[in-house]
Amino acid sequence: MYELKAVHKRYGLAKVALRKIDLTVRDREFLVIYGPAGAGKSTILNILAGITRPTSGDVRRDGVSILRVPPERRDAAMAFENYALYSHLSVGENLAFPLRARGLGAAEIASRVARISGILGIGHLLDRRPGLLSGGQRQRVALGRAIIRPADIYLLDEPVGHLDAKLRHKIRAELKALADDLSATVVFTTTSSREALALGDRVAVLNEGRIEQAGTPEELYHRPANAFVASFVGDPPMSFLSVAPRREGDRIAFATPGGMPVAALPARAVESLRDEPGSRIQIGFRSNEVRLAGPDDPGTLRGRVDVVENLGYVKIALVGIGEDQVSVSFPASRHLSVGETVAIAFPRDAVHLFQNARAIAHAAPYA
Amino acid sequence: MLQRDSSFAKEALRYGLIVIVLGFIVFPILWMVLTSFKPPQDVMVSPPRFLFTPTLDNYYHAIVDKNFLFYIKNTLVISVTSTVLVVIIGALAAYSFARYNVGDGHILFFILSTKMFPAIAVILPYFLIFRNIGKTDVGRFLGIGLDQPGALIISYTMFNLPFAIWLLVSFFQDIPRELEHSARLDGLSRLKVLRKVVFPLAAPGIAVTGVFTLIFCWNEFLFAYILTRQKASTVTVGVESFFTLQGILWGPVAAAATISVLPMMIFVLAMQRYMVRGLTFGAVRG
Repeated sequence: MYELKAVHKRYGLAKVALRKIDLTVRDREFLVIYGPAGAGKSTILNILAGITRPTSGDVRRDGVSILRVPPERRDAAMAFENYALYSHLSVGENLAFPLRARGLGAAEIASRVARISGILGIGHLLDRRPGLLSGGQRQRVALGRAIIRPADIYLLDEPVGHLDAKLRHKIRAELKALADDLSATVVFTTTSSREALALGDRVAVLNEGRIEQAGTPEELYHRPANAFVASFVGDPPMSFLSVAPRREGDRIAFATPGGMPVAALPARAVESLRDEPGSRIQIGFRSNEVRLAGPDDPGTLRGRVDVVENLGYVKIALVGIGEDQVSVSFPASRHLSVGETVAIAFPRDAVHLFQNARAIAHAAPYA
Repeated sequence: MLQRDSSFAKEALRYGLIVIVLGFIVFPILWMVLTSFKPPQDVMVSPPRFLFTPTLDNYYHAIVDKNFLFYIKNTLVISVTSTVLVVIIGALAAYSFARYNVGDGHILFFILSTKMFPAIAVILPYFLIFRNIGKTDVGRFLGIGLDQPGALIISYTMFNLPFAIWLLVSFFQDIPRELEHSARLDGLSRLKVLRKVVFPLAAPGIAVTGVFTLIFCWNEFLFAYILTRQKASTVTVGVESFFTLQGILWGPVAAAATISVLPMMIFVLAMQRYMVRGLTFGAVRG
């Protein structure tokens, strides 16, 4: 088990990469660190690897500080985002490098190189120099070099980011299977929500050097801790509608500025809603939690279709309602054109409630 | 047809220019080589003769009478030793500058600034320093003193280091840090990373630096002339010794010059492959 305790990392005087984060990597888990570019994902990996030293805070392995252990004695294997292949060695020699450095026998090395290059589909490239490979091929070599040897922890920095969609899907599946197979501890960074949800036993959402939320994919998706996580996890991201609360008996109703009620929750469920004038209250929901309604259905909101995205199996419409934009999924067989006015029906109880971007309540199914 | 004619004219112009440029470059060398085979009466005639009975007398005079191979040996020892020192010290220094930004750029600039005055400005202090060191036991033991190889080796190392460091810094900066990080994680210690990853990757740059340094040492005249008399004299001083009070012995001069050019020429041709790779940079990319 690896623990980051109040790890703070500053580069120079001004640039803060990590802000006092606490993070645990459990044994044999597949932890995904998910966040936008520049969030500090690579810094976390570098600190776990021992390449970068935190400005303050502690890094522990099974309770013992490893701050002073140099990288070569940490037993971590890492795939770098910019590949970091040895350009003076062939692909095969690159793959064999970590094994040679550990003094494995020639036969053992050959069989491992053959196995890994087979899994990654780079068996035919073994004699080439990295300089002659495409970006996707280099990335697979970098990944192969990281996973070729048994390690205490595998640190994979966006290892499939430069692959085409088909290959990415395939390698992702292989990677997950391999990790399960080896019961390996993996820390994997990505900027793809889909990858984070698909791969992670747990996902830590990182933003501007802070961990916004760490939990299982289900927790992040259904019970986001704040608006950032809600809008960042899931594709399409969660939509928000600004609302104002109004007490209705033992329920609290939420209505749009135009007065249209879109949700009502039991007062008990929204106890943490504070009565602060000027605070921003938003209802959040996923594109599949709302639906297109008939024009005369009661209790719907009208909006204008701004964009229609066809995902093949389903279509997503971005509908402008007042100041907000809401994504609605609808069957691919239906046709909607941009500019059209549509009515949207809201699930009155299946919503997420945010006050000043902090989650207050997750209603009904996700409570 | 017209097109073919114009392209023919273009080609003719191209080759014409190449011949002219080559003429300027090759002619002095050709003159030197031809003169080295000419009998004395054919050397200074005008117009120059290109057809003559070749003779090896000049070479015999240079090698046997003047013992010119002794100068070659001296030069070889001094140049190679200086070059090895320059490359080792330069590579280690340049690596620290490139990776750890030692001295925040100020030390690096200071090192370059030592190249800003002409070599002749320091020749007198050098002369006095080496004369005095040469009189001590340590100086005698290490061969550092006037007319001893150590004096030139130290001078050449000193004079080539700044340039070598500057050249190598850019090569090391081109190597992505992640390569070293990756090698550390793969289990190599800091020193092993240098040996197995950094230096092999910088090899073209190190080759270029070594070749430049060797050429400079081989061709250096001023320091060799002032700091040596006879025992440690190098080829440039050796060639100069044919300029006697009785006159210049052009034939033997040409023979000696030809002999002293040959090793460098062979060496540079052999290193050409690495040189081009080093000079074009960009060779290091992950």
